Amino acid sequence: MSAPAPETAIRARGLTRRFGSFLAVDAVSFEVERGEIFGYLGANGAGKSTTIRMLCGLLEPSEGEATVAGHDVRSSPDAVKSSIGYMSQKFSLYLDLPVAENLAFFGGAYGLSGRALRGRVDEVLELAGLGALRRAETGSLPGGIRQRVALAGAILHRPRIVFLDEPTAGVDPVSRRDFWALIRRLAAEGTTVFVTTHYLDEAEYCRRIGLMADGRLVALDSPAALKREWVPDRVFLVRGRELPLERLRSTPGVRAAEPFGAALHLRADPAAWDAARLAALLRQAGGVDVAVDAVEPSLEDVFLAAVGSGKGGAP
Amino acid sequence: MRRSALRVGAMAWKETLHILRDPRTLLLALAMPVFLLLLFGFGVSFDVDRIPLAIADGDRTEASRALVRAYVEPHEFEPVAAVEAEGAEALLRQGYALGALIVPHGYAEALDRGEPGGAQLLVDGADGVIANQVLAKSDATALAAGQSRLAAAAGAIAPPVAVSVWTRYNPEARSAIFMVPGLSAFLLAVGAVLLTALTVAGEWERGSMEQLFASPLGRLEIVAGKLAPYLVLGELQFLLVLSLGTFAFDVPIRGNGPLLFAFGLLFLLGMLGQGLLISVLAKSQLVATQAGALSSLLPSLLLSGLLFPVENMPAPLRALSALVPARYLVRALRGILLKGAGLDVLWPDLVAQVIFAAVVVALATARFKRRLA
Repeated sequence: MSAPAPETAIRARGLTRRFGSFLAVDAVSFEVERGEIFGYLGANGAGKSTTIRMLCGLLEPSEGEATVAGHDVRSSPDAVKSSIGYMSQKFSLYLDLPVAENLAFFGGAYGLSGRALRGRVDEVLELAGLGALRRAETGSLPGGIRQRVALAGAILHRPRIVFLDEPTAGVDPVSRRDFWALIRRLAAEGTTVFVTTHYLDEAEYCRRIGLMADGRLVALDSPAALKREWVPDRVFLVRGRELPLERLRSTPGVRAAEPFGAALHLRADPAAWDAARLAALLRQAGGVDVAVDAVEPSLEDVFLAAVGSGKGGAP
Repeated sequence: MRRSALRVGAMAWKETLHILRDPRTLLLALAMPVFLLLLFGFGVSFDVDRIPLAIADGDRTEASRALVRAYVEPHEFEPVAAVEAEGAEALLRQGYALGALIVPHGYAEALDRGEPGGAQLLVDGADGVIANQVLAKSDATALAAGQSRLAAAAGAIAPPVAVSVWTRYNPEARSAIFMVPGLSAFLLAVGAVLLTALTVAGEWERGSMEQLFASPLGRLEIVAGKLAPYLVLGELQFLLVLSLGTFAFDVPIRGNGPLLFAFGLLFLLGMLGQGLLISVLAKSQLVATQAGALSSLLPSLLLSGLLFPVENMPAPLRALSALVPARYLVRALRGILLKGAGLDVLWPDLVAQVIFAAVVVALATARFKRRLA
């Protein structure tokens, strides 16, 4: 139990899972460092949950290997289970039980008892900002708070690594922000967090991101590096009326132009175009009230570029 | 070992909280058996008395009136109509009477000549059970009437062969005494199988099974923790049904209490195992409920000896009934409650129960894979 914490929390090598003839996860390799928030992005069905289940010792890999907290998922799934916390996508909690009873049960399932268990339940309730709700029936709480209770349940036994499968799906933006504050606090205390999401704004919080498409890991790096690598063009936000969209698309050096709300999103070769020259071009072509701003590329741009190069769909 | 006990305890406690917080489960477990036992105990009775009888006395003599009195005075039969012989069958067909006593004109004269009187009894044979009872009671009544005539005519003559019949263990032949032990087996079976089938299938349906599998809880720990509270609930049910049988139906408890308890516990273990196996295979509450109800209700009702004696079944059904644990419990309960039988007589039933419980729990645990898919 008390092996020294390795610097590499999770290591996957050629991890593969087939269901019959369907290849759900195709030779995925990556490493996650201790204390890192690692985001795993991809469309539904891209293989995110299957990867997590293999890493948690719930599903045997068809090929390849993985070690989690220093334990091999294939040969010692029980050691893996004791050293991780897991929040599955579907289930969060027993809705008929009060918050504190839910936590006490999961603590007991990990072998905590008596005063240690009670003390730890109080601690995680405090950490998650739920002290006042300990006696509330879990089913009566809104989704965002339930997810915080579920996360509290996953960290009762002080795991070194937590796996969160779509923890904020269907949760309102304010609750999502609170939830992520909690995740960052855990990571700051040295817990490794492996989280899947399809909210691209959340992925910005991750130190590194893996992008899944059709079972393959198509990109893996920090958000900034991914943007540099996948979106080398400059991105402009173009506002105005009577904008000549077709003319723009056929202009040399302009790589893409898409409507974006009432405005246009435009990607162009940074050597050929800057905001002033684009504005001049547009006014000359009949645009009215034209305003052009260079903007930071978003992870959405990265996702579309990376997944578009594969064969996956939108998130 | 200690950690394992802690984990089972956490599981059992959680399950107990579910039960306590869901009044429907408690109601299903405790109120339903009471209700059903009262319904079956009072409602399902094979005793028939006050049989509606149509009387067509075509003779109207002292002798014919004596015969009619012999039928209606002990309250076995209730005269509902006095008719002509021709109208009797119509009353049977309309259901006003279950039998018709027809005494022909010249009955007394025939008797006086020493010939058979020729009285007839028409019986509604549509319901076999009732018809049999009507016939049996009529036979007894006619025999008694005949003997009293003989005695009156010739003074007291001892019949050449006298058979004294004593019915032991249930001298009044009351259905309730015979039914209550069987019914409690039936009710326990249905309750236990349904409750476990529901609770385990519920974990699959909610998706919480995956969460449990991701924790260090082992298969056996999940199974033991799930079953323990229902075992306690089942024993409570058993006690409730037995006390109700004792107080409401005067069912005696002649045998050994701990042996009764042991039989109940083993039976419950087997039934909970069966429920577990079903829910492991079904993984949805709807399918589990239906499979659980079918697999416990019908065999426990039809193949256990509760209604139909196992000894009278055709050989294939008798062989099949060997796989129905309720059969052993019904025998054991009747043995212990009514006859005061002990382990020296009932050990084969105990062994059969142990085997059944061990096999189903082992099968369920083996099928219950801790990895998904």
